[in-house]
Amino acid sequence: MSEQDVVTVRGLRKAYGKRIVVDGLDLDVRPGEIVGLAGANGAGKTTTVECIQGLRKPDAGLLRVLGFDPATQGAQLRPLIGSQLQDSALPDRLRVAEAIDLFTTPKARDGGELLEQFGLAGRRRSAFSSLSGGERQRLFLVLALLNRPRLVILDELTQGLDPAARRNVWAAVRQLHEGGTTVLLVTHEMDEAEELCGRIIAMREGRILDSGTPAELIDRHARRATVRFTLPEAGGSLLEQLRRTEGVQDVELSGTRVTLAGDRRMIAHVGAALVGWGPVPPDLGVHVPDLEDALLRLLENDQAAAAPVIPAQAELVGGRQ
Amino acid sequence: MSTTFGKLVKTELKLMTRDPLVLTFVFAFPVVTMLIIGGAFGTKPNPGFDHTNPAHWYVASYLTVVIAATGLVMLPVHLASYRERGVLRRFTAAGFPRWSFAIAQLIVGLLTTAVACALLLLVAWPVYGIPAVHDAWRVAVALPLGAVAFVSIGVLLGSLLPSARSAQAVGLLLFFPSFLLGAGGPPPNVMGSIVKKVADPLPLTLLTNAVREPWLGLGTATSSLIAIAALAVVATVVAARRTAL
Repeated sequence: MSEQDVVTVRGLRKAYGKRIVVDGLDLDVRPGEIVGLAGANGAGKTTTVECIQGLRKPDAGLLRVLGFDPATQGAQLRPLIGSQLQDSALPDRLRVAEAIDLFTTPKARDGGELLEQFGLAGRRRSAFSSLSGGERQRLFLVLALLNRPRLVILDELTQGLDPAARRNVWAAVRQLHEGGTTVLLVTHEMDEAEELCGRIIAMREGRILDSGTPAELIDRHARRATVRFTLPEAGGSLLEQLRRTEGVQDVELSGTRVTLAGDRRMIAHVGAALVGWGPVPPDLGVHVPDLEDALLRLLENDQAAAAPVIPAQAELVGGRQ
Repeated sequence: MSTTFGKLVKTELKLMTRDPLVLTFVFAFPVVTMLIIGGAFGTKPNPGFDHTNPAHWYVASYLTVVIAATGLVMLPVHLASYRERGVLRRFTAAGFPRWSFAIAQLIVGLLTTAVACALLLLVAWPVYGIPAVHDAWRVAVALPLGAVAFVSIGVLLGSLLPSARSAQAVGLLLFFPSFLLGAGGPPPNVMGSIVKKVADPLPLTLLTNAVREPWLGLGTATSSLIAIAALAVVATVVAARRTAL
C-alpha cells in the first residue's frame, strides 16, 4: 500500500445473502492510471466499484480512496469522484440543461462545452426520457466529468453506443488521462480495455485472476498465433520448410488447408517463407491473439482448475457415487 | 440551505409540475370532486351535516383530501420510481448527501400541498363561498401537522415499496377508502355504525375532524388534533430512520 495510491483495497469481501460476490480482493490504483476491471457477468466488478464509491458497505476489508474511507467518509469522498454508473437513470422529465445545472458545483467545467464535445448541444431542452440510449450514456459521461473529478469510475462506459460515439468517448477518456485524471473502468469490451487501459485486472467470482498491461496478459495467456492458407499445388516442399520455420509449433493439414500455430514471431518467419517460395496464397489468413483471447483463456483455465474432479467410475455410472 | 440542496428542491418542484399524476391527483381531483359533491346536497343547513351548509362542510373537508393525495399517492409513487430506476443511486454517487433527497421531498410535498390547497379555495370561493373560520389557530395548527404526517407517511411508503407500480397500487388502496370514509364521502352522521367504527380511527378522518370542526365552529376536536400531532412525530421519526437522515 502506498500513501500515493488513489485507490487501495485490501481483503475486500462482500456477500449478498449467502452469495459471496467479492472475496478477499486486493487492488491498488495509482495516480494518473487507467485501470480496467474485466471479467464475465457476476465477477464482482460493479460491487467492487460501488464499495469504492461508498455506495455499498463492505462486509470486510480495508478501503482507502483519495485518502478517505468510503464506508464512513462517503459524503466527503463522493464529490471528488466522477462516476458513470451501470443501471441508473435521471428523472424522466429532467431536461439536459437542468441536469447540468443540478450537478454543477462551483469548480465545475463549462457544461456547454462538454455537451458540445459529446454531441448533445442540440439536446439541451430535451427531457431525459426522450434521449436515445447512446445519448443517455453520453450525458452520464458529461455529468461524470463535469466537476473536474480526481478519480473517474466508468461502469460499462460504451454500452449501447454506436461505433462513432464509442470512438468519441474513448477520445474523451484519453484526454482525461492526459490531464492526469485517474480512471477506473469496468468493462466487458476487451477492445475498449485494450485501447484505453494501462493495466487490466481480470476478475472471476469476486477474485482477481491476473493483472497486467494488455500486452503482458496476452503474452501470458494467449501467445499462440495462427496462420491459415490453402497449400499451392506441388507445395509439399513448402510444407516441409514451414515445419522447420522458427516459432512454428504445430502444423495441421486438413485436405489442402494448412494451419500453422506458434508464438507471434512465427508470423513474420512464415510470411518470409511464403514470399520466398512463390506466389503468396490468396486466402492467407492470420489470427493474432488479442486481449479477448487472453481473457477467455484465463477464465477457461481458472474454471477448469476450479472444477471438481469427478472420478472416472462415477462418470460411467451417470455421475452417481 | 446549501446551494446543492437548494438546487435539488428547485428541480424537484419543477419536476412535480410536469408530472401528470401530481397534476391529476393533487390539483385536479380534489377540486373537481369538491365541486361535484359540494353541490350535491345544496347550500341550506342540513342536520346530516351538523346543521351546517353542506357545500361549506365539503370546502372545509377537502383541504385534507389534498394532503392525503400528496402523502398517499404522489410521494410514494415518485420516490419508489426513483429508487427502482436508480435515480437515487445516481444522486448519491454525485455527492448529494443521503438526507438531502428525503428533506427535499418533505419540502416539495409541503409546498405542493400549500399550493393545491390555495387553488382549491380559489375555485371554491366564487362557487360556494369560503366558510368563516371560527377557531383559526386550531385550523392553522392542524393543517401543517397533518401535512407533515401524511408527507412523512408518503416518504416512508416510497422507501419501503419496491416499485412505482406497487407504490401506486398500495397508495390508491390507502387513499380511496380514506377519502370516502374520512373526508370526501358521506358525512359521519349518515354512516352506519360499523362503517363509522371503521372510519373514526383513520388518520384522514382524524385530520379532517381536526380541521373541519374548529373551522365550522362544530367543536375543538382536541383529541383528533393530539392524535394527528402524535402521528406526525412518529411518521417523521420512522421516515427519517428509514431514509437514513
